Amino acid sequence: MWVLRRIGVALVLVWIVASVVFLAIRLVPGDPAEIMLSQGGVSPDAAVVAELRDQLGLDRSIWDQYRANFQGLLSGDLGVSLTDQASVSGQVFARLPRTLELIAVAALVSVLTGIPLGLLAALRRGGWFDRLAMGLAGLSLSVPVFVVGTLLVLVFAQWLALLPAGGFTPFRTDPTRHVAQVLMPAITIASSLAPVLFGMTRAAVIDVITRDHVRTARAKGVAPAGVVLRHVLRNALIPVVTVLALHLGTLLGGTVLVEYVFNYPGLSGLLVDAVNARDYPMVQGVVLVISVLFVALNLTMDLVYGVLDPRVRRA
Amino acid sequence: MRRINPIPLAAVGIIALLALLVPYLGLPDPVRIDVPNRLAGPSWQHLLGQDEVGRDILSRLLWGARSSLTVALLSATIACVIGTALGVMGGFLGGVVDLLTIRAADIVLCFPPLLLALLVVTLLGPGAATLIPVLALVYLPGFVRVAYAGVLSVRHQEYVEAQRALGVGKLRIMLRTVLPNIGGPVLVQFSLAMASAVVLESGLSFLGLGVVPPSPSWGLMIGAARSTMAQTPLPLLWPCLALTLTVLSMNALCDAVRAAVDPHGVPPRQRRWLLPALLPGLPFRAGASLAVRDLTVAIDTPAGAVRPVRSVSWSVAPGETLAIVGESGSGKSLTGLAVLGLLPLVARPEEGAVLFGERELLRMDEAALRRLRGAELAMIFQDPMSSLNPVHRIGTQIVEAIRAHRPLSRRSAWQEAVALLARVGIPDAARRARSFPHELSGGMRQRAMIAMAIANRPTLLIADEPTTALDVTIQAQVLELLAELKAENGMGLVFITHALPVVAEIADRVVVMYAGEVVEHGPVAEIFTRPLHPYTAALLRSAPPEDGSLPQAIPGTVPLPQHLPAGCAFAPRCVSRRDACEAAPPPLEQAAPGHDTRCIRWREWQRLPVTQGAEA
Repeated sequence: MWVLRRIGVALVLVWIVASVVFLAIRLVPGDPAEIMLSQGGVSPDAAVVAELRDQLGLDRSIWDQYRANFQGLLSGDLGVSLTDQASVSGQVFARLPRTLELIAVAALVSVLTGIPLGLLAALRRGGWFDRLAMGLAGLSLSVPVFVVGTLLVLVFAQWLALLPAGGFTPFRTDPTRHVAQVLMPAITIASSLAPVLFGMTRAAVIDVITRDHVRTARAKGVAPAGVVLRHVLRNALIPVVTVLALHLGTLLGGTVLVEYVFNYPGLSGLLVDAVNARDYPMVQGVVLVISVLFVALNLTMDLVYGVLDPRVRRA
Repeated sequence: MRRINPIPLAAVGIIALLALLVPYLGLPDPVRIDVPNRLAGPSWQHLLGQDEVGRDILSRLLWGARSSLTVALLSATIACVIGTALGVMGGFLGGVVDLLTIRAADIVLCFPPLLLALLVVTLLGPGAATLIPVLALVYLPGFVRVAYAGVLSVRHQEYVEAQRALGVGKLRIMLRTVLPNIGGPVLVQFSLAMASAVVLESGLSFLGLGVVPPSPSWGLMIGAARSTMAQTPLPLLWPCLALTLTVLSMNALCDAVRAAVDPHGVPPRQRRWLLPALLPGLPFRAGASLAVRDLTVAIDTPAGAVRPVRSVSWSVAPGETLAIVGESGSGKSLTGLAVLGLLPLVARPEEGAVLFGERELLRMDEAALRRLRGAELAMIFQDPMSSLNPVHRIGTQIVEAIRAHRPLSRRSAWQEAVALLARVGIPDAARRARSFPHELSGGMRQRAMIAMAIANRPTLLIADEPTTALDVTIQAQVLELLAELKAENGMGLVFITHALPVVAEIADRVVVMYAGEVVEHGPVAEIFTRPLHPYTAALLRSAPPEDGSLPQAIPGTVPLPQHLPAGCAFAPRCVSRRDACEAAPPPLEQAAPGHDTRCIRWREWQRLPVTQGAEA
């Protein structure tokens, strides 16, 4: 029952986002037909523009367009791109896995570094390791992602020539090159995510370690490793997972800069190009997919949260 | 609000000052192109060299700071003013306003900030003029949220309610009372927004969607220098460095502001709590299971060490129950925790010894002490809700206690855990073992706690207020259970409580503690019929009498260990006080074999008829 209600709310949210995007993009000045036909700064012929508008259905009323748009959505059709007549869903689903892969690898790197280091720093609070790690996290958090990316390209691609400067190769074509090309952008994203997880883990561990139930575990004679893993880290993970989920959500569509720096053909790049060309169906398609994923991520996180913290489980 | 750390403040100040004074520094024109000297290295005219079209890098760097900080300051200010106003209105007026402001903010918050900025910028066209409202829009919901939360927390506080009752208008209350009170969190949010706006502005400019060329901007400089970075990396590194240093100092300032606004999170100093030296062999009661001798616990504070437990001695024999009574703050619990080596990190045993059989616990290393804890020596804690781990099943937590000391398989340990739960009187134990602590009642939780403590048949059990959180019927059942267990195993029991009626039921001997010291120590019958210390007598009077008459509370409170009176610690609250009481701390004297008191007038109390005791 609770899950059904959550899904219902999520669907309404997706519908609101889709409508807002639909309206915003049409209410803002800039005619896609005109933009498509303006090449080299020459104004296109008015008659040609009118013809194209008619062809694309842009001269119909907003309400008509809105209805047609959502009828298409309900039947699973995201429409075709205004610029090259390619199917929007084809384009989106070709690019989506690449961005998801990037985010997944970045999340993995961040979890594997941020959480253990955060735990260690909290356990050695005030010591040299803690201060060093805190300093590094603060620094890492302060360098904007595109600076990190650019510097990584400079050092590893230009100077050391260890990794390719960017681009994308499908895994099936060349697995090694694929991995090499995903590595740097993923690490770049992780450079901003890992310090967040580090800080959250450290703070949560410091908070949990003073709780009564940790004292109980010690009073039972549980070995230090068991106390730390089962009673401190286990409980401290609850807020860490919340923060991770929030940041993963922002990364959907938030990888624009990294994709640009590494010339990585992901979802964000598609969106930027589509907005520039006023390619309405494409913009809507991308935003819709991002918001559905965002909502799905939140739902999943609620379920994970239920596993982590039995107090929030519902009957 | 405390003082803000001056270092990040100074760093941000210097950057802001440079940005402010740029036009007056006599730098070369930041947009003057000098193609013949493109990518020239540092020279006297161009201290940091020239960029890909020969413009002066230093000049562009400082002008870039100016545009970056201007955009950040303006957008953060707009977001702050509008967002705070909306949040305050939403929080204070409630209803439709609440719905419109807060829900709208929530929806905007759903968008990744960069995506939102990107969408708006591409639709409205790039340039500093669009950048400011776009960034303001991105940070607006944060301020709405912070202000809203702040208002909700102060809205129902007494001084706001009082003003309402006095008929002060809502607008006046908002401006006069609520705004200054949410100032701290809003200030933190403002510094966060500033730092974040600098990053976002440079990111958008880097993509070519922010500041329009040829205006100087760090993001643009980095973007432009990328194409030539292989040959000449310096034009790339300078703006990277400037941007990083600026964001770093702004982030440090955020932390400093937060630390100044929110006094939490100041780490206490960590302390080792093993004693430096061994004490010579101390005499202890023959046959005692546990003997505490002259135990002093110290807590180091910036103002010097305070001693919440001072020179406390007592012992328990096998099968005996010793009750430690006293008000909150008397040092009872700390004594119990010190015995098991479970003192909080700030506290440490300073002197004395704890003898458990032949072993001295205070000087034992942690690994050896750990093997005793939960095995021969167990403890039950006061609040079973917070003392049980909320994320593990009850059974799992008992299994953990069993397997910490005995090499049993998970399965047989689980069976034993179920048997233990049944033993402490939990019905349907097999099912209950799979419950989480929050699914059980308070009484059940305390039974589970007891099951955990007796899992390895301890020879000594320290129970710290095990019945305080429970209602009277459950209390009686738990006491009965403890008595049974004691009889079964010949276990010694230390029962820490402030409830005297419970003591009469369960204890053999009683230790009365006040302000960190033992003030009276004796057999339970004598303590109850002829107390030899006015504090014991006052405690007895403060318990609800059986005849239904009103209990008499003890006026005043226990003095803090850092503000102890010069003489007897109880003298300021004592109705039998004499001048001599306040002159010097009274010694603990033996009034009868096995009965000690820390009152200089004990001989007078001894002569009083039974049931009156000290100062009837």
